[in-house]
Amino acid sequence: MYSDKTSELIKFQNVSKDYKNLLALDEISFIINKGDVFGYIGPNGAGKTTTIKIIVGLIRDYSGTVYFNGKDIAKDHHIIHKFVGYHPQDAGFQEWRTVNHVMYTFGLLSGLRANVLEERIQKTLDFVNLLDERDKKVKYLSGGMLQKLRLAQALINEPEILVLDEPLSGLDPSSRYQIKNLIKLLSKQGKTILFSSHILSDVQDVANKVGILNQGKILRIGTPEELQNEFNIGNEIEIEYANDNKIFLNVDSLSCIHTLDKLASNKQVLHLKPEFNLDNAINQILSFLIQNKSKIRNFKTIKPSLEDVYLKYIRGDNQ
Amino acid sequence: MNLRILFVDELKGFYKSKVMLILWFGMPFLTLLLHFLNPDLEELPVSFLVALLISSIGGTLSAALLSTSIANEKSHHVYDLFLVKPVPRYSILLAKYFAVYLCLIIATGISLITGLIIDTYTSGSVPDYNILQNTLDSLSISLAAMSISCSIGIFFGILVSSVPVAVILSVYIGNQVSAVSILATIFIDFINPSMFALIIGVSMTVLFIGISIIVFNRKQF
Repeated sequence: MYSDKTSELIKFQNVSKDYKNLLALDEISFIINKGDVFGYIGPNGAGKTTTIKIIVGLIRDYSGTVYFNGKDIAKDHHIIHKFVGYHPQDAGFQEWRTVNHVMYTFGLLSGLRANVLEERIQKTLDFVNLLDERDKKVKYLSGGMLQKLRLAQALINEPEILVLDEPLSGLDPSSRYQIKNLIKLLSKQGKTILFSSHILSDVQDVANKVGILNQGKILRIGTPEELQNEFNIGNEIEIEYANDNKIFLNVDSLSCIHTLDKLASNKQVLHLKPEFNLDNAINQILSFLIQNKSKIRNFKTIKPSLEDVYLKYIRGDNQ
Repeated sequence: MNLRILFVDELKGFYKSKVMLILWFGMPFLTLLLHFLNPDLEELPVSFLVALLISSIGGTLSAALLSTSIANEKSHHVYDLFLVKPVPRYSILLAKYFAVYLCLIIATGISLITGLIIDTYTSGSVPDYNILQNTLDSLSISLAAMSISCSIGIFFGILVSSVPVAVILSVYIGNQVSAVSILATIFIDFINPSMFALIIGVSMTVLFIGISIIVFNRKQF
């Protein structure tokens, strides 16, 4: 478990939660440090939303302890209201509200005084690029704008940690790009962010720490790079030859090659044995290709994606 | 503090809703219509009839409005956002109740004043004490009945997930239960109708809103 006691912001200690006969969380423990962008990934029903609802105080009947800045949130609940900004997965707004009205209400409910509220609303809407829509009714907003509004209301009280439940789901590529950029910007500003997602490429782009959850259990926590390296999934090498140069099928006789795939008549992917050093493998392959006077047009190494790692963990291949 | 914020907020939402527009403009219009249609009121003043009409129509509409609003907001997870703020759950329900009830009181006031003006105009003099007393009694009964209807709207909005079912139950049961506030006037002569309506109105309202708050507090979001 990652731990740096001086900067621990959220700490889950043996937290379990069940819904009648279903165990949603099974003794999970993890720590989110200040400044972390924690990507929380797992299949549907893994327990991501349950974890998030515990942090924001929507679920209180759990066992175990959750600390915020060293304080047990079950005993000192008001700290959550003050320091956590929450972006729910699919929460709606009353349709008669305008964007401005939503911000005004949630600003007041967060305890902001009317004299600072106007400036804060302007600043927050400007940040999420919704300033031009502030007088628009919620019912006329697109899906992407609604996600921005959810993010804006979570930011209105400048919380210490942002908890975002699937902020990128159901968005078109352009809106996803915009929201992802906003998360990156907030991260650069030093904001601590916990966000759940099942779009792993997005997590890989944004998070500096990743937690993999499955069937209520945390399988692994680490940086995306650590997970990719520790899992020991072999690297791949893609080679493209000149059109008149057929691929070498007998390259798999090399000791570093595990398997090979033919992508086209002049293109192949070599899967390296995980235990083999990458540099040695490249030397071996290049020597072989030079000896055979091959006309190489492209030669690149491909690292395993977070998705590969995730699938391995979820399937239990790491055992 | 947060109850006040939510109350003002709900008021902004409700006062310009279609249902409330019907009450704001429809009720006084109905009062005028009653006068011009000149139905056989058997000596009853227009204002008395208006009070009864409002309690029936206003109560039904407000029960439907509240149950629809709550059931809808529950299914769209609107409350998730409120409950992560320092907002006690009861204040969400109370804000809704007070906002709708205030709108009803104002609509009732406008309609009754219209009725009294018509009575004054048709009789050529200010309505006498008996007419005012009757109107006051029917106003108390109306307000009690509407309060019960509102609380039943909240009760079924919280209890039932399906919007149509919540509306049907709140309108039907709201009408039945709110009629209790008028029963004394029919069967028992010596009971003060205003006082009886007040007691029944307050106790039923407290009962239904109290149960709604308990259920809402236990609800998992």
